[in-house]
Amino acid sequence: MKKILPALIAHIAIILAVIIAFGVMSVVRKTYAGGAEKFTGELERNVTLHILENNTAKEQGYLEELLNAFNEKYKEYGIKAVDANVDQFNDLEQSGPFGYGPDVLYQANDAVMKYVDGHHILPLPIEQLDCYEHISENAWDAYTTTISEQEYVFGVPVNIQQPLLFYRDDLLPDNWETEWDDDKNGVPDMIENWSALYRYSKQVKQQSNGKKYGYMQSLLDSYFSSGYLFSFGGYLFGGEDGTDTYDIGLANGDSYKGAKIIRQLASVMNMECTEFTISDNRYTRLASGTYFATMTTPDVYTMFIREMVNAGYTEEYAKEHVKMVNVPKLPVSGDLEDESQGFMDMTVMGGVNGYAISSYTKYPNASLEFVNFATSYDMVKKRNQILGISPARKDIIEEIGGLDKIINENLDSGSIYVMPSVCATSQIWSPMETFFSLIAGDILEGKSAYATDESLKKGLEGVSKNIYDAIHTLAG
Amino acid sequence: MGLGQLLYKQWTKGSMFILLQVAFILYFVFTGGADLFGLFTLGQVKGDAWFGIAGDNSVVMMLMGIFAVIMIMFYIAIYIVNVKDVYATQCAEDTLKEPLSFKSQAASLLDKNFHKTALTLPIIGVCIFSILPIVFMILIAFTNYGGTTVPPELVDWVGFENFGKILTLGQFAPTFFKIFGWNLMWAVLSTAINFFAGIGLALLLNKACVKCKAIWRAFPILAYAIPGFITLLGFKFMFSYGGPINYYIQQGGGDAIGFLAVNSKWTARLIGLGVNAWISVPSIMLLATGILSNLNNDLYEAARVDGASAWRQFIKITLPYVLFATTPVLITQFINNFNNFGIFYFLRDGVISDSYFLANNTDLLINWLYRISIDNNYYSIGAAISLIIFIVTSIISLTVYILSPSYKQEETFR
Amino acid sequence: MNKAKAKVVKSKSKKVLNVLITYCILIVVAFIFFFPCLWLILASFSKSGSIYSFDGFFPKEYGIDAFKTLFTDTVMYNYPKWFLNTLFISVMSCIFGTLLTILTAYCMSRFRFKSRKKLMKATLVLGMFPSFMGTIAVYLLMTQFNLINQQWGLILIYSGTAPMGYMVQKGFFDTIPYSIDEAARIDGASNFTVFVKFILPLSKPILVYTALTSFTWPWSDFILPKMLLQNRDLWTVAVGLMSLGETEFARFAAGSIIIAIPIIILYFCLVKYMINGMSAGAVKE
Repeated sequence: MKKILPALIAHIAIILAVIIAFGVMSVVRKTYAGGAEKFTGELERNVTLHILENNTAKEQGYLEELLNAFNEKYKEYGIKAVDANVDQFNDLEQSGPFGYGPDVLYQANDAVMKYVDGHHILPLPIEQLDCYEHISENAWDAYTTTISEQEYVFGVPVNIQQPLLFYRDDLLPDNWETEWDDDKNGVPDMIENWSALYRYSKQVKQQSNGKKYGYMQSLLDSYFSSGYLFSFGGYLFGGEDGTDTYDIGLANGDSYKGAKIIRQLASVMNMECTEFTISDNRYTRLASGTYFATMTTPDVYTMFIREMVNAGYTEEYAKEHVKMVNVPKLPVSGDLEDESQGFMDMTVMGGVNGYAISSYTKYPNASLEFVNFATSYDMVKKRNQILGISPARKDIIEEIGGLDKIINENLDSGSIYVMPSVCATSQIWSPMETFFSLIAGDILEGKSAYATDESLKKGLEGVSKNIYDAIHTLAG
Repeated sequence: MGLGQLLYKQWTKGSMFILLQVAFILYFVFTGGADLFGLFTLGQVKGDAWFGIAGDNSVVMMLMGIFAVIMIMFYIAIYIVNVKDVYATQCAEDTLKEPLSFKSQAASLLDKNFHKTALTLPIIGVCIFSILPIVFMILIAFTNYGGTTVPPELVDWVGFENFGKILTLGQFAPTFFKIFGWNLMWAVLSTAINFFAGIGLALLLNKACVKCKAIWRAFPILAYAIPGFITLLGFKFMFSYGGPINYYIQQGGGDAIGFLAVNSKWTARLIGLGVNAWISVPSIMLLATGILSNLNNDLYEAARVDGASAWRQFIKITLPYVLFATTPVLITQFINNFNNFGIFYFLRDGVISDSYFLANNTDLLINWLYRISIDNNYYSIGAAISLIIFIVTSIISLTVYILSPSYKQEETFR
Repeated sequence: MNKAKAKVVKSKSKKVLNVLITYCILIVVAFIFFFPCLWLILASFSKSGSIYSFDGFFPKEYGIDAFKTLFTDTVMYNYPKWFLNTLFISVMSCIFGTLLTILTAYCMSRFRFKSRKKLMKATLVLGMFPSFMGTIAVYLLMTQFNLINQQWGLILIYSGTAPMGYMVQKGFFDTIPYSIDEAARIDGASNFTVFVKFILPLSKPILVYTALTSFTWPWSDFILPKMLLQNRDLWTVAVGLMSLGETEFARFAAGSIIIAIPIIILYFCLVKYMINGMSAGAVKE
């Protein structure tokens, strides 16, 4: 026993000494060397790049073509690009620091820009890219942010995303040229302005006894419905670049008029517009002729065609008669039944999708080269052909013109409200959805809780407060 | 370690202890010591991936720090075993007895000390994968982790600040009590419904007049076999405006009903109860069937001779027996229902109710916690709330458990 | 005489009524439980993938296209691969999880050591901690051990945490009379031998019960695999099904049915053991 006690003490002392010594060493050790410039222009050789693309690019075979073309060209350098093969919404913040993230990622601007705070993506030397001067200032802006008075760009725009009106022109009334074309411009009024679309939808619903509908939309879907608020002066976040989360302006200006229009639109639909049912069933219902029109983003165009084919039409017929057009104009009066003050362009929420490079990549130069290749004229054009996306490259837009040109102009004229590039954007959806669902249900159930402008205004203020709470109350 | 054994010429055992010690010291030299200190500092250098600065990830440091503490505890445990062993050998030498040979000691690990052998792996597993995460979350409640303070930002200890925030924030308390009240009601109601429906079903299937019991029993088992998330997604669609139930209501000329809509409250709650019953009743039915098959038939014989009605038989014989036999199951059922995350997460996501803070009127506490800590990223606040709930529920259930006959009379059946 | 006859008739008609009511209730119950399942099965056989082409509960046209695409269209949704992954993870977790749980339960039931009661209370309390709160920690832990995108990492977690639910099994072992142990020990068997040779053969029901529960958990879990398996080729069926688009209900239903089938078969084969195992465990949990 006598021998054990000193041995014990000595033992504890040794262990403690080891722990403390190495613990303290670890505390003192921390002097990190500052990193050098990452984009040296010298291509890394014999490397494999992991590319994260979106699901449609993969499904439609574009990704494969892109990778093959790239690998072919850079074979001599030994650079190989492969599909990262992870979920398209893969969170770089979670996977990157631990070495599981992709090298290059293709995501929407709000998703990409939320990585900036943690420096998870690299600022890019965009002047070095071939596409630099072909992309408009506004598209670059979606990926630009100012850090200590210096501007940095974090992504390369490829595709401009905005909601469009989808409709079937074979469902137009036979007499549309005489009855539904007041301005005689050869375009049906109901796809030109919301008032006519509303009137037409009302008529369809009445005549079919609620079996058929005109315009249908899951009105609670804030991505599409917030546009009505923006058109009348509402905004998400204040500040110069729209990222001041202390200033939430959903109730700003006459935005209640937008809410009123949402409520009016609900009256020509059914209760399904208060939930996401229509977002899911519009493909089938448009094909079956139950709905005449809906609003969504162009990337789902193929789903409409597929359902048309399922419903028994030929693919040619489907492609000829399912039309995509720019969103209709809104009445200035803010009342769908009052066209006296004329019409104005609608502002819609939209986004810019593009490539960004992970800060955790070991091969920044090869990654940059890949981005350069993927945003080249040929590849973006191919992307447009295969996926039907609206390219951000001006040279391609000039060539194809049409709707894509209009979308580009919308971005330049500010008719596209680009999703704010801050993390807090993720907090806006639930409160907005709840409110839109309530006002849509209100009129359909014959209630009048939101019948007056004041109640709508108050409701919007409530939504702003909820969003504010979600962002700031707990943080303070 | 191990020297003592070597001195007594117990080579195998001695070298095993030495090897273990070397392994531990190596661990502490390479990562353990630094990890342990990291638990206190939570990092000092902010990482910056732009400049290739790895920096300190506070959260990982905390986690590995806890891991180091667990390793130290293991080390101490092994050290105690070592000292005891040397002491036993020494005593044996002193009294001139033959000390236990290594072989016989090893054999005892399969016999007298079988539990030590058998429990080692489970305890290590539980320590790392259950206890470590729990300790981690408890410690998170005392930091400012969350919001914008996530790695690569450095997280810091803030003491009881989060608890203070919960108490002082005006919006918090009303929502908390509203949700807590509903949560309690939900736990009681759903446990009662599942329990009585399950026993009722078992009794029904146990009736002498029911033929082909196996087939009848098959239907609930079918429900049991389908993974929960599939069931819940199916039910959500079924009760939606565009779902089949409303389709038939409208075909019959009625107005569509918003069972799970934003402004529905009790319909959504009732559907929640129903769906939960659909999922849970089958397992309780199986359980009750088994228990009933153990029930002594003589009691019923006697009751029938005495002229007791079927209802009286149920009240006086069946129910007390089943209740006694299933108290522990009832407690676990209650706890599981109290923390039933899936039901309303699937049925009613994306809805915020008026006068609720970041929650809706069907949310249980656990759903609210999820919104705060995962959807809104306020991990530290979420951890603080869950710590409060955890303390409350564990005190209640521990008291019930200790007072329950099945704990007190554990030895009676032996 | 007459009176007695009347009584017999009366009690007979009462009996018939009783049987009638019993069957009515049974039919209702069977309907409630069976109908949603039937709906899912019908949906999987609908010709058009979208659920919105249905008349109420029933598809307009039937076909096996959903099953075909499930196994042939594997660029994005590699169902066969996911199925094998799920099977591997579940079987492995089942083997190790059952082993650890049974060992724990047996020790807690048969051995009286100092910290036993404390351990029992501690596990009860720990079981109450909201489990999703710990997932962040589990993710970080796995990144440190380099076990992201490793199926063995998942298996480790599933089997490592399985012993927490040892209560029912312990109850079962409590009901096995001590006299068996003692008789064996007099014959000179060690505790290990007693466990392997005498107790285990008697514990078939609880073994089956444990194996089944530890098999079904990984089989239908999607939170852990979603977090730990990022590569699409490593996904499990549950994660894959959750990622399917809303318009592909038929495929979702078909995928769900295929993963439900093995569990249903297992349950039907083993329902007898299940009942015995659970009840014996519950009496003395």
